[in-house]
Amino acid sequence: MDDLLLVLVVAVALGFDYVNGFHDAANSIATVVSTRVLSPRAAVIWAAFFNFAAFLVFGDAVAATIANDVVVQDVLSIGMIFAGLVGAIIWNLITFVFGLPTSSSHALVGGMAGAAVAKAGFGVLIADGLRKIGVFIVLSPLIGLAMGLLLTLLIFWVFHRTRSTERLNQGFRIGQLFSAAAFSLGHGANDAQKTMGIILALLIASGHAQAGDSTPLWVVLSAHTAIGLGTLSGGWRIVKTMGSKITRLQPVGGVAAETGAAVTLFATSAAGIPVSTTHTITGAIVGVGAARRLSAVRWGVAGRVVWAWILTIPGAFLISWLTFLVVDVFA
Amino acid sequence: MDRRAVFFFGAAAVCLVLVPLSDGYAWVSAVVAGVYALLGVGSWLDARSHRRL
Repeated sequence: MDDLLLVLVVAVALGFDYVNGFHDAANSIATVVSTRVLSPRAAVIWAAFFNFAAFLVFGDAVAATIANDVVVQDVLSIGMIFAGLVGAIIWNLITFVFGLPTSSSHALVGGMAGAAVAKAGFGVLIADGLRKIGVFIVLSPLIGLAMGLLLTLLIFWVFHRTRSTERLNQGFRIGQLFSAAAFSLGHGANDAQKTMGIILALLIASGHAQAGDSTPLWVVLSAHTAIGLGTLSGGWRIVKTMGSKITRLQPVGGVAAETGAAVTLFATSAAGIPVSTTHTITGAIVGVGAARRLSAVRWGVAGRVVWAWILTIPGAFLISWLTFLVVDVFA
Repeated sequence: MDRRAVFFFGAAAVCLVLVPLSDGYAWVSAVVAGVYALLGVGSWLDARSHRRL
């Protein structure tokens, strides 16, 4: 019976990963679609491939952080993790309906924390791990913004002799294929690892793995496959917000934003820090707009995005908390 | 004062506040704060030179 439950909750975790890819597909492809470098269909295939290929490049440091540093190991159970996942999925779907680019990652952390607190109180939260994640909630968009801005300035400085902006953008259309690929690689690495971490926590809770074990290969492959398939399905409402509503992007800006965000994701994935790919690319796009002038950024939309970030952890926490109470009745 | 410089100085202040909370990653917060402070100074000087022209 326990094994059947385990299989069901692993399927829900992979479902979350699929929804994550679906929800965050916009981040990987918004700039490449809005600058008309690739058609929407070609862009999702391109992004999905690099989402999947990420397992060949990055380890499992982020997965270990999710499995070991959010809540204490003793509180982990199949029901608790199920409630956490349900809270994160429902929150993602709510924000998807409203077209808000919130963070699936923080929904997951909020969901895990909410279900764990419902089960055993606030004492089960690991303050150090949550503080690290909390600090990078703020830092990741700021790093992305600085990277996007500095790369834009660098590109314009290097090519300042090019008189035709048209010609410059033409050259950067090809460059955007590589920057979109790099960003998709970073997205696959950081986000698929969060699901790997959840499945690893499930295996620990059910006695199929020990704390500190590395992630089994089948978990790595299935998580990257699920996120790749989710990206392939695409999420068009959010493409519109990311691609044109924050600031209008040209190919030069697209390359700067995606490269800046990709570098940030590579560094945080290597350091085992679960950050939001959404936060990072949004910050980078704002940075590209701010390199021209602050009025090039539509701050009303950026502000709406910030509010969605602030509400994500409490929102997912509350839904998971309530879900655990229901699960507990049936358990 | 230039709005962009104010924004960058604000971001630098936020990163500085995060330094004591960042444990092993305090250097990341400090470096990002430094970058924003430099961007703030650069943006302020840029706006000032534009006003003089």
